[in-house]
Amino acid sequence: MRSQGVGQLGRWYSRIMFGVCVGFAALIIALLSLVIWYLLAIGAQSVDLAFFTQDQSGDPTAPGGMRHAIVGTLVLVGLASAVGVPMGMLAGIHMAEYSQETWLAKPARFIADVLAGVPSIVIGILGYELIVVPMGNFSGWAGAAALAFIMIPIVARTTEEMLLLVPNSYRAGSFALGATKAQTILRVVLPAASGSVVTGIMLALARVAGETAPLLFTALGSRFLTLDPNQPFPSLTVQIYTYATGPYEAERRLAWAGILVLISILFALNLTIRVVAARSARHLKSN
Amino acid sequence: MSQAASHPDRGPAIPPGSPTAARRAKTGLGDLALGIMARFGAASIIFMLTALLFVLFTAALPSVRQFGANFFISTQWRVNTLEKPAIGPDGRVLKEDGETVMTTIPPAFGALPTIYGTAVTSFIALVVAVPLSFGAAIFIVRVAPRWKIAGPISFLIELLAAIPSIAYGLWGLYVLAPFLRDWVAPTLQKVLGDIPAFRWMFFETITIAGRLQERPIAFTGRDMLCGGLILAIMILPIITAVARDVLRAVPRAQIEGSLALGATWWQSCWGMLRYARAGLFGAVVLGLARAAGETMAITMVIGNNNQIAASPFAPAQTMASLLASEFREAAGLHRAALLEVALVLLIMSLIFNVVARWLFVGGQSRSAAAH
Amino acid sequence: MPRLLATNAVLTTLVAITSATATFADIKLNGAGASFPAPLYRFWVSEYQKAHPNVKIDYQSIGSGGGIKGITDKTIDFGATDAPLNKKEIEGLGGADKIIQFPLIIGGVVPAYNLPGVDKDLNFSGEVLAKIFLGEIATWNDPEIVALNPEAKLPASPITPAWRSDGSGTTYVFSSYLATQYSAFESTVGTGKQIRFPLGQGGKGNEGVAAIIKQTPGSIGYIEHNFATANRISYGAVRNAAGNFIKATPANMSVAGEASADSLKGDVLAANIWNQPGAEVYPISAFSYIILYKDLGNLASIEEAKALTAFFRWALSAGQDRAGSMDYAPLSAGVRSRVEASLDRLTFKGASLK
Repeated sequence: MRSQGVGQLGRWYSRIMFGVCVGFAALIIALLSLVIWYLLAIGAQSVDLAFFTQDQSGDPTAPGGMRHAIVGTLVLVGLASAVGVPMGMLAGIHMAEYSQETWLAKPARFIADVLAGVPSIVIGILGYELIVVPMGNFSGWAGAAALAFIMIPIVARTTEEMLLLVPNSYRAGSFALGATKAQTILRVVLPAASGSVVTGIMLALARVAGETAPLLFTALGSRFLTLDPNQPFPSLTVQIYTYATGPYEAERRLAWAGILVLISILFALNLTIRVVAARSARHLKSN
Repeated sequence: MSQAASHPDRGPAIPPGSPTAARRAKTGLGDLALGIMARFGAASIIFMLTALLFVLFTAALPSVRQFGANFFISTQWRVNTLEKPAIGPDGRVLKEDGETVMTTIPPAFGALPTIYGTAVTSFIALVVAVPLSFGAAIFIVRVAPRWKIAGPISFLIELLAAIPSIAYGLWGLYVLAPFLRDWVAPTLQKVLGDIPAFRWMFFETITIAGRLQERPIAFTGRDMLCGGLILAIMILPIITAVARDVLRAVPRAQIEGSLALGATWWQSCWGMLRYARAGLFGAVVLGLARAAGETMAITMVIGNNNQIAASPFAPAQTMASLLASEFREAAGLHRAALLEVALVLLIMSLIFNVVARWLFVGGQSRSAAAH
Repeated sequence: MPRLLATNAVLTTLVAITSATATFADIKLNGAGASFPAPLYRFWVSEYQKAHPNVKIDYQSIGSGGGIKGITDKTIDFGATDAPLNKKEIEGLGGADKIIQFPLIIGGVVPAYNLPGVDKDLNFSGEVLAKIFLGEIATWNDPEIVALNPEAKLPASPITPAWRSDGSGTTYVFSSYLATQYSAFESTVGTGKQIRFPLGQGGKGNEGVAAIIKQTPGSIGYIEHNFATANRISYGAVRNAAGNFIKATPANMSVAGEASADSLKGDVLAANIWNQPGAEVYPISAFSYIILYKDLGNLASIEEAKALTAFFRWALSAGQDRAGSMDYAPLSAGVRSRVEASLDRLTFKGASLK
């Protein structure tokens, strides 16, 4: 640090840059809020009851609703988490509790971080090659698998980090009482970190619920409300994309309504997650 | 009861025949099961990466073998075969039995236009987003605590990071693109259009009727500029959040020391930025990785024309948008070429993420050593 | 935590059960392919479902290339394309004796444009259209366009061509027609399902191109007739082989297909019906085809095979009468009987479906 005397010019420059920093922060928030406000406002004009109660009709000038797409997303996320959550948690448990075996934990940790940054369209292509082609058709299973691929590294890393936050005294006390390693992990450590682990899982769910690209080549899309994952499967994001890039005014209105619903759900999810996380972190610290 | 802590990895501190030993013998199976399942979970992550690389590589092999290194410098992306009149040795069109002889030019694929599109849009995104993000991060770390709004602002920015990319795509297509087309581009053209140094922005050179011709660019709003700006908006939250974390880790001694030596507020900030430059660079790389891998928003606003053009007002195609546009119906060599592009995209994002991690770890150990 | 895992297990079991019951009651068929006939197919499917509520047919508009690929990979039950299969694609499907390809409807490719301030319908010739898409005609008030439209007040603004960025039968039809009208076209950009024009914007599906035209003043693109009428996009008349400027209607598109009945042979039926002679023929008309395996063994059950065949027979009879209301053109009687004959040869694992 040069300890020169700073003249008036330097002081004015500092004040200007101060203003710039404040301005930039305000600008970012204003810009992002503008985008969201616009989406919500247009969406609010377009959403109605039919949106939630009707499926896609065949007619693009009166397209019906997006009930099938909302249910589709819920089912896909549910199926993805049926595989993604246990696998991710198990991997996180391994990396946190068994990390004596560094030949597995270290590369797994590294790769999990790196996988989280892979473009989701590449994951979709993987899902196509691994599941759609051998299975013979586009399906909900392939879509759920692609989403699970995305979920597992995220859940693994957040589980690991939350487990590491649990003080060792918990583990020592549990062993002192005669518990096995499995019992310690499942009945002592995990419950202690459960708030934050659930937070991490729900963050992964929120991320995956908003994904479009991985579903384009795996679940394809459908206009029917269906619970059968063996067939092409609808989803809110793909349906919005299809309508948004088309020429039909009525379909585009539905796309805006869909965005409103999607953003509202994701916002509500994230809000609850962070409130719960803050509360459970305080709880952990106070112990 | 003299029970030693019965850590399973230490020697038998449990008297054999005691109730504890009996209990452990029964639950040993649970131990084994969890250990195996946990190992399986961790292995699955490693398997996922190997599967990705293996599947993409084997499927891209036909294209790799056919085009080799030329794939990365070729500007051709032609899916259909071309029939051109054959030119004889005398330079004139060959005729046989009064009919023109046609040579068939097979499909040719080259990744350069998409690499160019990805590079330009990412560059525009970083140029716009990095100053904004760094400024906001400095604000959050240095100014906001005094005003007691550091928490809410960070919270807000992280919340905004949860917006799905398709929302940005919709906004970009129906709000930003028309705005750029009707206001920004014409204004820029009025101001800069006559200056020869800026001619490349408003004119493009295309091969028409076999000759290179210069044409004024028609503004459509769906171009590299719109793509870059949308990407900038999308990566603002992530760069801001990471930069904020990195700057927060700068030891207070550093800041207070510089202030004590008579530095102005900005000079101490600059000192912070320099101190944390490894981590900040990592934040930029993370933003770059996100921008380069973004698909949905950019497919909707980039114009989907797989070409190389100098002007930001020209349409283009990025690697991700090319895959979104063409993969579903590609077959044969076309599909192999697309998979090679996907492989390039994957390896690029892996490299970015590895570099970012390395920068963070390096930065952390540096600040740890400073104590 | 165990509760979370338990709920997941319950959910998966529930899905498995409902998927089993669903396939028991409903017949679900999947088709995909050309966006050219997509509005009509969707209309037909929902009409058909009114009479047969348990037959649920899903049609995804992903482009002709996607339809051909899907049926080759057997990821769908039937494929739709406006570009008839070429030799390589037939080989990929197992050979001409393993498949049937038949026209199901006639549509027209129209030059649709967005010219605020010009409300007259413009006239185009094939050569002018070719030059526009090649970039040789750059502005709307080019002398060649003015020559065809002496009364229209054309602005001096640049033309932005809009075309298909995906594998498209519409591109195949349009480029093949332009190749017959302008000699340099074929050697410059070629014909086929996926070609890149020197300038302009790409869109996905007829839907994407229609959207681009609607949003971009000064643009012109080639889309199927229904997309122009349903979205109130202006489209022009095209000069046919007899020299008349014809604006597409179901009647003048239907006429284009009449002569082709005799040329349809075998079970891989295909005929190019653009640039037909006749005073009132629309010059850029085209068949849209369906591709099926001759043995529908790739379907789940014989009920599905029978349902699919029944749907196509309905489309060939009652469906044709309703095509005009969607601005498509019905097949002539001669073509219909040829197609019916091919449908009669469909089997399911060897058993005839008649």
